[in-house]
Amino acid sequence: MLKIVSVGLTISAVPLLNNITIDCPRGSVTALMGPNGAGKTSLLKVISGEHRASQGRVEINRQSREDWKPAEIAQFMAVLPQSSTLEFAFTSEEVVSLGRTPHATGTVRDAEIITAALARVDASYLAQRSFVQLSGGEKQRVQLARVLAQIWDHCESESECEAPTDGILLLDEPSAAFDLAHQLMLIDIVQQISACGVTVVMVMHDLNLAAKCADQMVFMNCGHCTAVGTVTELLTPELIKKVFSVDAQVMTHPLQGTPMVVV
Amino acid sequence: MKVLNTRLITPRLCGLLLLIALPLVSLLGLMTGPVFIPLADILSMTLSGDSGNSQEKLIIEIIRLPRVVLSLLVGALLAICGALLQGLFRNPLADPALIGVSAGASVGASLVIVFGSMLTANGLLLGLSAISVGAFAGAIITSVIIFRLATGPQGTSVATMLLAGIAISALAGAATNTLSYLADNDMLRRISLWQMGNLQGASWDRVGLCAVTAGFLGLLIPREAGALNAMLLGESEARHLGVNVEWLKRRLIIYSALGVAISVAVAGVIAFVGLMVPHLIRLLVGPNHRALLPLSALAGAILLVAADALARVVIAPAELPVGVVTALLGAPFFLWLLVVQRRRS
Repeated sequence: MLKIVSVGLTISAVPLLNNITIDCPRGSVTALMGPNGAGKTSLLKVISGEHRASQGRVEINRQSREDWKPAEIAQFMAVLPQSSTLEFAFTSEEVVSLGRTPHATGTVRDAEIITAALARVDASYLAQRSFVQLSGGEKQRVQLARVLAQIWDHCESESECEAPTDGILLLDEPSAAFDLAHQLMLIDIVQQISACGVTVVMVMHDLNLAAKCADQMVFMNCGHCTAVGTVTELLTPELIKKVFSVDAQVMTHPLQGTPMVVV
Repeated sequence: MKVLNTRLITPRLCGLLLLIALPLVSLLGLMTGPVFIPLADILSMTLSGDSGNSQEKLIIEIIRLPRVVLSLLVGALLAICGALLQGLFRNPLADPALIGVSAGASVGASLVIVFGSMLTANGLLLGLSAISVGAFAGAIITSVIIFRLATGPQGTSVATMLLAGIAISALAGAATNTLSYLADNDMLRRISLWQMGNLQGASWDRVGLCAVTAGFLGLLIPREAGALNAMLLGESEARHLGVNVEWLKRRLIIYSALGVAISVAVAGVIAFVGLMVPHLIRLLVGPNHRALLPLSALAGAILLVAADALARVVIAPAELPVGVVTALLGAPFFLWLLVVQRRRS
């Protein structure tokens, strides 16, 4: 579904990414991890088309990223940025409705999707509130509802046949502002939509949270891809020391059996 | 859960109120002036076609009606262009002066006033005086320069445009001041009066020119409402929502430069309308451009007609420049709205 092939990125003579190759199959969840300035967001921006790769290429659905028109790609790919700078007093409902901009599904269907998306991120009670007055975590939940609304047709298994392409969701530190309950809600959403065929790529800092839902982890450092693999392959004390310069213990979750990083 | 709706009224109600106000204010505009014409006379003139008073008929047909229609069109143009620019710059305090249109127009007009006495003698172009043509040319030239300065290989930077606009406006201001310094007393008066804006020169030719522009922009601008809404989230967010941001910016800049340049050419610099009207409508009904654009146009039209009617009566038989009235009328109302809004939230 999404292939990153030897991608390099240089902006103003500063090399930000170097020879990155990652394969994200349909319905997979990829977590990009690494210290600050490792190039995670830059990589996400190359995938989303905000930066053009200096070397290599990004393939979406076996087509080069460059060959997709913005209006076509917006039909099935949504991007949640790190933070939002919206300063106009839209209601939360209106912000979510902006996610339907690329679609011509009609106001009735859009209204259904908007209500459902707000409910999905536990933000129904915010629908009529002015976006600018929300707290950081509430804003991020409403923005998450907006990107979910954009690819909603790809997130419901029953309508799978209607959508000609599978969805892609790019998340940049989606959980940074969330409280514990909403971090788990995010994991649940990611698992559910990936089960419906949506390919998810997300930048995360919390190793344990990423371990709960990632099929594939990518450790990045200084613009290089240090390691790619499954959660159990990557969450080892040696690799964590190498990438994050932190001494950590890796244990097994008593109930779920997933690796758990303790520092 | 407590539901806080920050909107004062719904767009539908706001539109309805404005649509009721529009003909009423226009009638008021036709009635008022140095010679008061009673409502009954205007109605009988329009309904039966004949009028007992041919002098009143002349005043309405030749002076007041074109002036009211011109005010409607100029007000609508200024307000809708202001709304566009505020959306484009994602700044509710942006106004047409930011893209250098007003400053450029002032230079053009002043140049003609100071050096163009030979030009003004030989006639008009499309009902426009040489001053108007100068203003239009100045407006378009400065906005092209600012647009070029802000456009690089990565596209147009709205932030650079803002800074370039401020710098070019300062430069143009210096040029206008130099011209004012060189001007004699009569020219100086004309320059400063022109900068305050007035609708005295209204004629059917000018109405035609404005109507064509307004019609053209009125068809094109509302199509951008969805994209403008997405733009408020940010340029990259809009791109991810499928908006071709570079082309959108170009279109919006062309539309607003054209709209403001035409209105400046026929009516001089009328401050406040482009800045405050969209802001005011946003306070009332929220920032959704689908409602904001048409409602701003309506409210701008109403405000300018009302302001112009006042301008004609306050110090009758003399006239105040309409730009002074728009500011006097709108600014306190705007402040009141701000205070109300603050108390509510």
